[in-house]
Amino acid sequence: MAAGYVIVGWNRFKRAYDGVLLAGLAAFLAAHAGAGILLAPAGQHPSEVQLLIRASGAAAFSLLTIILCIGPLARLTPRVLPVLYNRRHLGVACFAAALVHGGLVVLWYHGFSEVNAFVSLLISNPRYGSFGGFPFESLGALALLILFVMAATSHDFWNHVLGPRLWKWIHMSVYAAYGLLVGHVMLGAVQGEKGLAQAALAGGSALLVAGLHIVAGQLERRRDRAVDGPPEGEGWLDAGPAEAIPDGRAVILVPPMGERIAVFRDGAKVYAVANACRHQGGPLGEGRILDGCIVCPWHGFQYRPEDGCSPPPFTEKIPTYRTRITGGWVFVEPSPQPPGTPIAPSIAGEAG
Amino acid sequence: MSVALAEAIWRGLALYFGFGLVTGIGVILFGLKRLAPGRLPWRVRLVILPGLAALWPVVLLRLAGVRPAEDRA
Repeated sequence: MAAGYVIVGWNRFKRAYDGVLLAGLAAFLAAHAGAGILLAPAGQHPSEVQLLIRASGAAAFSLLTIILCIGPLARLTPRVLPVLYNRRHLGVACFAAALVHGGLVVLWYHGFSEVNAFVSLLISNPRYGSFGGFPFESLGALALLILFVMAATSHDFWNHVLGPRLWKWIHMSVYAAYGLLVGHVMLGAVQGEKGLAQAALAGGSALLVAGLHIVAGQLERRRDRAVDGPPEGEGWLDAGPAEAIPDGRAVILVPPMGERIAVFRDGAKVYAVANACRHQGGPLGEGRILDGCIVCPWHGFQYRPEDGCSPPPFTEKIPTYRTRITGGWVFVEPSPQPPGTPIAPSIAGEAG
Repeated sequence: MSVALAEAIWRGLALYFGFGLVTGIGVILFGLKRLAPGRLPWRVRLVILPGLAALWPVVLLRLAGVRPAEDRA
């Protein structure tokens, strides 16, 4: 959280996370290179550089697949949340592996060209009008550029400078990078000698990512309380009975227009705030109220439910919404109040 | 892709990131206080340098006083 802007320090969990990540990455590279030697046809052993090119490319693709699976998996089971907390570390490791792969490719295959190595990469396969023969190297280069921008802006400093919306928008381009990489791997397989096995692995990974997103999306739709129309006068949204909101938890409203709304109950008090955390857009409605503050399930950012402000000295603010309880049912005004606006809670059990 | 187009892409990227790197170094040395109140350690400044090189247009906007959309709401 930020008081203006404060660096989030390292802790034991982060160090352990990075230790496991680096050990896993090293083991993957060694295993992939070893398999490359063992499975190579007799007399066609690849060079060390070629082995590293393949292993680092496979590592980057596998890491990105894992990264994209973590989000939906965390929605299916909270046990994945600890991995989600520091997902950016995986992203930086993915970029590092991709950079090694791309750098070695440029040096190994284009470094001795008569033209600039990068220019050589772009023009070595001129079949840009072909589908099956499309130069897969260009797709990889574009994906690497996207991964670079994401890794370079992964520090919380950038969330502060860019603002959560722009930061999120930039980091959603991970899906474009993944699509480019799937194309890169599959076209490379078709045009190279790896053939069906590599294409099937890439396609299977893409299907896994898409499938998990679909399942998690359906689960979220069931959890969300979709509001199709205004059941109350003045367009207030029906959040259901107050008693149906678990104590210290929230239900999430999906209004016909605008952002999701998290409706929390803390004892008899009912509050409504924007569902998106100011930090990285985490789902506040999936968090809980602890010590009087809403705690984001992603990184622990806190907000007071009565005014949407982080407790001092922190300065984040989220929009708040007016609520009222009629006959035990909670209704929420659909238009948000400016971030940090104090709103008195509605009291469950009082005559509405 | 023609050689001319590939060279134009290469030069465009080199110019963009080259200017961004110079701008980023300038921001790290002289303009960081306007972006992030408080003193940032040098290791953090080095970590954010690639981002400054990549997103220098947004950084210049922030230095010019244009705030993120959320802060203007």
